[in-house]
Amino acid sequence: MTDFATVDFYTDSSLIENPFPYFEYLRSQGPIARLPHRNVLAVTGYAEAIEILNDPKAFSSANAATGPLPDLPWEPEGDDIGEQLDEHRDELIATGLVVCKDGKEHANHRSLMMNLFTPSRLKANEEYMWSLADTLLDDSADKGHCDLIASYATPFATLVIADLLGIPEDDRITFCEKLGPPPGVVGEEVSYEDSQVLGMSFLFEYFGQYLAERRESPKGDILSQFAQAKFPDGSTPEVYDLVWIAAFLFGAGQDTTARLLGACLRVFCENPELQEQVRNDRSLIPAFIEEVVRYEGPVKCAHRLAVKTTTVGGVEIKAGTHVALLYGACNRDPREFEAPTEVILNRPNARKHLGFGRGAHTCAGAPLAKAEVTASLNRILDRMQDIRFSEAHHGPAGERRFNYEGIYTLRALKDLYIDFTPVS
Amino acid sequence: MPLITITTRDGDKHEIDAEENQTLMEVIRDNGIDGMDAICGGCCSCATCHVYVDPEFMAKLPPISEDEDMLLDGSLHRKPEVSRLSCQIRMSESLGGLSLEIAPED
Repeated sequence: MTDFATVDFYTDSSLIENPFPYFEYLRSQGPIARLPHRNVLAVTGYAEAIEILNDPKAFSSANAATGPLPDLPWEPEGDDIGEQLDEHRDELIATGLVVCKDGKEHANHRSLMMNLFTPSRLKANEEYMWSLADTLLDDSADKGHCDLIASYATPFATLVIADLLGIPEDDRITFCEKLGPPPGVVGEEVSYEDSQVLGMSFLFEYFGQYLAERRESPKGDILSQFAQAKFPDGSTPEVYDLVWIAAFLFGAGQDTTARLLGACLRVFCENPELQEQVRNDRSLIPAFIEEVVRYEGPVKCAHRLAVKTTTVGGVEIKAGTHVALLYGACNRDPREFEAPTEVILNRPNARKHLGFGRGAHTCAGAPLAKAEVTASLNRILDRMQDIRFSEAHHGPAGERRFNYEGIYTLRALKDLYIDFTPVS
Repeated sequence: MPLITITTRDGDKHEIDAEENQTLMEVIRDNGIDGMDAICGGCCSCATCHVYVDPEFMAKLPPISEDEDMLLDGSLHRKPEVSRLSCQIRMSESLGGLSLEIAPED
């Protein structure tokens, strides 16, 4: 039995399969509770999390890639560590990623990708999504069983991002194969020397080349538009800046969406009546997705670094403290969500979950993720009846087991074996 | 920096020195003014940064895109002559003196 008072959230694999009892233990200590290791305050309170997310001057995103691992490369001093952070920022992990930037620089870099996610852009992408869903399901929909993550969700999410960015079709499989694991692996030794690019070096090579070519001779495709994107003040970003954005889109947009689809299917299998309700009324799919993001969202936690000593919810957060925003817990805060452990469609505040974050760093890909999962659920329900857990892999009712990736930042099903009746 | 006036849903008025090139949504959010969720973070896909703009300034704003129009149409509180999504308006010197009100929550 894990001792919640002393367990290390960042290294203990016993919290992976089901972190929620631990989150409730932390909540019982207050909406902001000190963890026993690594100078971290953990936030389980919804209102407190929003206050922190909306105060980027006091709470920097500089540690957003991996949180408190490794330790800050300097000893923070005083109640305002802004200058110290400026001095050491380049020594931190993956600071080129848009999620790790602050203030104006963040806004500038974020703006480069915003026009990839507008409703009209997504509409143009939708046709590809629906036909891709069919192609991928062709491999498994007649068999009556599959591992949804490996056979469908992961290739689907990766290929959609590849299409969105306009990567030539012949190269897409290579991209899929070469992507490394996301950051935040439990128990992994992380050092500042080897993690600046988080295994994405190949993306730099490929993308740098694509973008440079399209700057030279634009082809009228999406990648050419992206290559010519400007900062809000009209200045031109370096190709290197765009490559970081593209690398980030792959890293952030692939796993999270794939695992959200996995979570949706898990909820379907656990609630056969709900599965039938949604199967018979597809207009419920958007509400269902919002609720699954709240209940079992793929982003388990995000991190901020306190730059100024600040009091939130009556708790003093000293400059230099790592703040772990446990979205999985905030989204089950009973002060905000009634009956938080139940899946309820059309809650009055259904869209207010923190599954996509909030504030300046709100997930830009949320509309894309929702469009992808909507298309996928529709096609899956079209082709699979009576979807249920494979008992051979996940055990009988009451004793189910699931493999989740050993990652403290994500709640990510490693596999989801389902049985179903093919629809002919 | 252009000075703008923001009225919250409670009727509180805030005068803000807006930074140029920030969107109005970012100005409102980053100055800690309550009441705006801006759920999508500014990619024109949610309509939770809906504001009513001083009619005198409407002509100075960039035109409403098809996406913005569609999203505003989904709001119960759209007022065609003054409604805009604040994430679609970038601050510039010519918008100095602008006043706006945060629209009611849908």
